[in-house]
Amino acid sequence: MQKEFPVFSVLNSALNTISAALLIQRWYRQHVARLEMRRRCTWNIFQSIEYAGEQDQIKLYNYFGFLMDHFTPASSERNLISHIFRKNEICLDTEWERYFCYKSIEVTKSYTGPHLMFPVTFCGVSKLVEAFKHKEQLHARYVLQLLGETWRLLRTFPNISHVIACHTKAITICGDLHGHLEDLLLIFYKNGLPSSDKPYVFNGDFVDRGKNSLEILLTLFGFLLVYPNDVHLNRGNHEDHIVNLRYGFTKEVLGKYRVHGKKILKLLQMIFSWLPLATVIDNKVLIVHGGISDTTDLDKIARVDRQKYASALRPPKMKSDSYLESKTTETDLDEWKQVMDVLWSDPMPQNGCIPNEVRGRGCYWGPDVTEEVLRRNNLQLLIRSHECKQDGYEFCHNRRVITIFSASNYYEVGSNRGAFIRMGPDLVPHIIQYQASTTCRELTLRQSVGWTERSALQALREQLFVHRSDLISAFQEFDPNNKGMISVTHWASTTERVLNLGLPWRVLRPQLVSSTQHGMMDYQRWIKELSITEPKLEISDNSILDTMYKNHSNLETIFRIIDTDHSGLISFKEFHQTWELLRSHLKTEISAKAIADLAQSIDFNKDGSIDINEFLEAFRLVDISAHN
Amino acid sequence: MAEEAAAPAAEFAPAEIEEFKESFGLFDRVGDSQVGYNQVADIMRALGMNPTNKAVVAILGNPSADDMANKRVNFEAFLPMLKQVDAMPKGTYDDYVEGLRVFDKEGNGTVMGAELRIVLSTLGEKMSEVEIDSLMTGQEDENGSVHYEAFVKHIMSV
Repeated sequence: MQKEFPVFSVLNSALNTISAALLIQRWYRQHVARLEMRRRCTWNIFQSIEYAGEQDQIKLYNYFGFLMDHFTPASSERNLISHIFRKNEICLDTEWERYFCYKSIEVTKSYTGPHLMFPVTFCGVSKLVEAFKHKEQLHARYVLQLLGETWRLLRTFPNISHVIACHTKAITICGDLHGHLEDLLLIFYKNGLPSSDKPYVFNGDFVDRGKNSLEILLTLFGFLLVYPNDVHLNRGNHEDHIVNLRYGFTKEVLGKYRVHGKKILKLLQMIFSWLPLATVIDNKVLIVHGGISDTTDLDKIARVDRQKYASALRPPKMKSDSYLESKTTETDLDEWKQVMDVLWSDPMPQNGCIPNEVRGRGCYWGPDVTEEVLRRNNLQLLIRSHECKQDGYEFCHNRRVITIFSASNYYEVGSNRGAFIRMGPDLVPHIIQYQASTTCRELTLRQSVGWTERSALQALREQLFVHRSDLISAFQEFDPNNKGMISVTHWASTTERVLNLGLPWRVLRPQLVSSTQHGMMDYQRWIKELSITEPKLEISDNSILDTMYKNHSNLETIFRIIDTDHSGLISFKEFHQTWELLRSHLKTEISAKAIADLAQSIDFNKDGSIDINEFLEAFRLVDISAHN
Repeated sequence: MAEEAAAPAAEFAPAEIEEFKESFGLFDRVGDSQVGYNQVADIMRALGMNPTNKAVVAILGNPSADDMANKRVNFEAFLPMLKQVDAMPKGTYDDYVEGLRVFDKEGNGTVMGAELRIVLSTLGEKMSEVEIDSLMTGQEDENGSVHYEAFVKHIMSV
């Protein structure tokens, strides 16, 4: 053994210490990077499934548009849906007043919910918020009265709200809320309730997905009525009665108000179309829900008749003689594009402006378009929402665009934070972040990534299950001898081809496929192992089952459209018609007998009509591994 | 610790390369099939390597701070860099345990959490307080000691 001098041993020890530190630091950074990759994967899964759903809906819209344009008025399919394209029959204000009259609705003594006195006061609305916090429900009479007042007020507003920042302390700007009442309450808790000293801008998408969309609307409208000059609401793409059919708001209202739900929905349909399209602060900061395009023209937007554009479904058609029709239609289409671009567009990193094919409406616009539109309109900043961001906000386009998103835990508990902007007279944006629910704040980064990841994988497994027949046929192309095995490489490329979600399948494989041998996997067993429960009903026809799984949301949308009286029930005949509509949209073969059998087997109440909710529940897919 | 000779750079299997390419794509925030120089270290770590920041900077050709912030690299250029890093010694369970034993003054299988925190924040490639907190959460007992073999098992179990 070498004789060690003291100085060598001190040096050696110091070197060991540094090496040890480096080792731990290296390891730690690897751990964080791996978590980050898992988090990105998870995010991609949620986002691509969400966008696939949106595309699906746009395809359905376009199909409806096609039906309207190409079939004779006598065609049965067109008849089922033409009512959603018809303008409101009731036109005169006096008729609306009569239709929405709340006065005949009695508030009985047994009602234990909040009372709302009119004209509304700050005190009244604050008490309403407290009541909502305690999960109370507002009586239909008060709802209709509040909505009626809101409608009357909104009609007096211009398309673009102009706000002056100089005289107030700070203005607060919130993004998408999507029915997440707990986030709105958290914002009020952190920031204070709206008032003339505390102005607010709410940038659209108040409804759908979360379960308290109506409470959010009533709260925002309440404060709007008390402080009409200090509370500003921008319309979002979800303030659209056709979108609401699919994404939960229609269902929420009908579920909470069984007798008056239909009236409430109709009144909201009008209110949504009367919501302003943009807010401008000090002529310098533009706030819109989606964004802009290269043709965005604020003067044009200021002049449109905004209530004509009730839905993104399709552009309005004007009735006029043939010579004028083409001219009128062109202006109409131009105006429609201005509105759609503002509600549906998303920013992209590259220069240019291209149609937004993911959403099906609006554009993708680049940093050059931001510069040009801001310059042309003498603005310095664009604030928009529309896209979920992990931190609740994101700057882009050289910090000239801010995305602000206020629904935390949007995809799943722990998936993202929410945020809002506070802006003083200096127009410098300050971002405040938060996350609703104490449980997720207490989780470590690793636990929270794990939780969200499990949920994303569940959603993904459902998608895989829903496409299982297509997957198996596609796999079989690589397995000519029918051995039931396929290489991992082929598995990844085939799955992507069938599902078209743009996901990193090889990276996800260890989480989705339990075992591989020498780079090969047993695909039949894998499909079986997806462990999704099937409906308890006897359905012999597998193809109808698969169609149902894949088109769950389309079915729901079509049902709700067909259910014109919003009763939640449809007759056998209407059920049959729904399938006819879906079948022609998807161009698949489903025998009339199969549909008839299905209708019989799901007539749960045996009364010749089908309850929409029960039907959809019966076929809701459940990932049984979630219970392990 | 014993110095390990760098293993000869092994070839990645085609399936592995496909997987790396997918992971690489996850970090492309711009959509140009490239990633920034300042992301390269993290992507390598996400792929199972654990180089020091210094090693990565060397492999990138010692870029300036400006380059680190703005230059981008595509997958074809990234792959050989990844190979180089793969050849470096990664650190085994025993290495980590040995590394921590350095701080085990009493030879009883524990190190003082406080001492570990000071070392990690002042030596080597310093960690921030937030990073250290995240690492050490739940690892110190009521005396502020860390039982390092359990600690290493914990940190290796991602």
